[in-house]
Amino acid sequence: MREVTFLEAIRLALWEEMERDPNVFLIGEDIGRMGGAFGVTEGFLERFGPDRVIDAPISETAIIATCVGAAAAGKRGVAEMQFIDFISYGFDQVVNVAGTYLYRSGGKTPIPIVVRGPSGGYVGGSLYHSQQFEAWFFHTPGLKVVQPAFPDDAYGLMKASIRDNNPVIFYEHKYLYRRIKGPIPEAHEDYIVKLGSARIRRYGDDITVIAYGAMVHFALEAAQHLEKEGISLEVIDLRTIKPLDMKTILESVRKTSKVLIVYEAPKTGGVGAEIAARIAERAFEWLDAPIMRVAAKDSFVPFAEPLEKFVLPSVEEIVFAARELAAY
Amino acid sequence: MRTRRKNGQQAVAYHQRLEKTDLIEIYRRLWFARLFDEALYDAKKKGRLRRGNVYSSRGQEAIMVGTTYPLRPDDFVSPIHRDMPVFVFRGMPLEQVMCQIWGKAEAPTRGKDSWSHMGDMDLGIVHSTSMLGSTIAVACGVLWAQRLDGRRDRVLVAYTGEGATATGPFHEGLNFAAVHKLPLIVVVENNQYAYSTPVELEVPTKTVAERALGYGIPGYSIDGNDFNAVYDTMCEALAHARAGNGPVLIECVTYRLQGHADHDETRARRYRPVEEIEMWEKRDPLPRYRQYLLRTGLFTEADLPEPPLDIKEQIERAIAYAISSPDPEPHTALEDIYDERAGVSL
Repeated sequence: MREVTFLEAIRLALWEEMERDPNVFLIGEDIGRMGGAFGVTEGFLERFGPDRVIDAPISETAIIATCVGAAAAGKRGVAEMQFIDFISYGFDQVVNVAGTYLYRSGGKTPIPIVVRGPSGGYVGGSLYHSQQFEAWFFHTPGLKVVQPAFPDDAYGLMKASIRDNNPVIFYEHKYLYRRIKGPIPEAHEDYIVKLGSARIRRYGDDITVIAYGAMVHFALEAAQHLEKEGISLEVIDLRTIKPLDMKTILESVRKTSKVLIVYEAPKTGGVGAEIAARIAERAFEWLDAPIMRVAAKDSFVPFAEPLEKFVLPSVEEIVFAARELAAY
Repeated sequence: MRTRRKNGQQAVAYHQRLEKTDLIEIYRRLWFARLFDEALYDAKKKGRLRRGNVYSSRGQEAIMVGTTYPLRPDDFVSPIHRDMPVFVFRGMPLEQVMCQIWGKAEAPTRGKDSWSHMGDMDLGIVHSTSMLGSTIAVACGVLWAQRLDGRRDRVLVAYTGEGATATGPFHEGLNFAAVHKLPLIVVVENNQYAYSTPVELEVPTKTVAERALGYGIPGYSIDGNDFNAVYDTMCEALAHARAGNGPVLIECVTYRLQGHADHDETRARRYRPVEEIEMWEKRDPLPRYRQYLLRTGLFTEADLPEPPLDIKEQIERAIAYAISSPDPEPHTALEDIYDERAGVSL
């Protein structure tokens, strides 16, 4: 086992996949000479050369499209969005081109690409460096959406995403990059985390908390706090947002009978809304309380600290919501 | 029509190097494109084709034939909606093309998408979408894959319209290709109208070719209704791209003789002056090429029937094949959304 940061886990996964498969290449802004805005690809250009580590112009459309076209011709491109917010520039390539490609090729031309980048708030990034618009892609057929919370999952999921034959949008929460450390397996173990499998990060009896990304850490903190009050939370880390691991979710819900869904994106139309609907459809008779959600307010992510704090979900909000559910 | 060439030079007359058998084949291809178009308009009118639109390429035949004829078998193309014959020229069986138009199970898209939104990477045909500009950016990736495989001399011909040159992906794709000197040839079929919007409301410069200046690449504005002009320019562009000099932009000036699609015929006569349509009818590329062939002295009138024999029958056979071929099963609508050959299922 290697003890690494969340960022280093992603870096190692990319590096080892590049070593393993000559078809894998990276493309993005400032990823070569500089090694990426956050340093995820430091040293890659020197090792793999400019044909496999492409310093692209500021052209999110061209960056993603290059991965798409290369994928149609048998390669596996990994596109870095300097901030995942900028994926909006390449939206058509993701949704209308990559997402539909297999379908409109009659199943003949898979598009194995990964579009990855730092997401999320809590760092004063303001409007265009803080967003969590995973719901856009959650809503789109043909795509997979991943957001890990721990280094081992980031490592195993990145490898799985590169090897997957479908377009994967990989959210890396920048708040976790250097704050979270943990063990990951050695390179020779070829460790993979299957896409579409959630993981229970803490077992409990009273309330099922479903979260992903940074919210998993908030939920675990809340669980620790509530333990002292005799409220036991079971924390599910979705790891993959699409496809959803409904089996793990429903098993837990049938055990605890109470559900709290936590996500960092605006509440309306978010991933949590779909999870709530599916639980209501498939486990209604097991529920002892309304399904509750803690999410960002329906706003943008503002810059000033008091504003950002007001908009984004907090550990306190999770604690309050869980208490309410426990008392229901 | 003015012919603008790089540095004011005339291109080599590559067309004069073609063999007699080539000339006949080109003549047949021009007619194939024309008859393909007519057969589909007819099928739509008579109710044999009940679903989807027919996008006419009438008047644009010289572009399709002239840009594909000098290609190598391992080159790539990404045809758009007025390039249906290009699929056939690049090796897709005509029956498959018709199955695509009729939405049949045997179609390359298995009935999932219509008309030109298909491809076959084994034939080097890259799939385009309705957002015409977007495929120019995708083309960069196809070419990057060739670079990784050490096959830098395979060229990709990306077709687009003058209207799509106003979109972002057109710019991002060409910019990227130019920065990295990718062998991309963008053929702009400037048929004067993007649906109803005239070219002067899409492009601020006198020619579309001038856009090439912004990328530091050669730009040609040529008579798209003159097969020899298209062919010669294409040969020159191919030599440039294959030698590693980067992309080329070719504006083929032509005219959309029909409406945007078959549903648009009435309105298309209102948003365009009749005199304009009549003027362009006189520039029909087919009789022009026939006149050229006669002038070479290699052919007699009788050698060049209008249309050449058998083509109509060949097209009709393919249509009949498509009509009688099975529809897709409803449940297949949910197939091919994900490829689980290396992943997990939803």
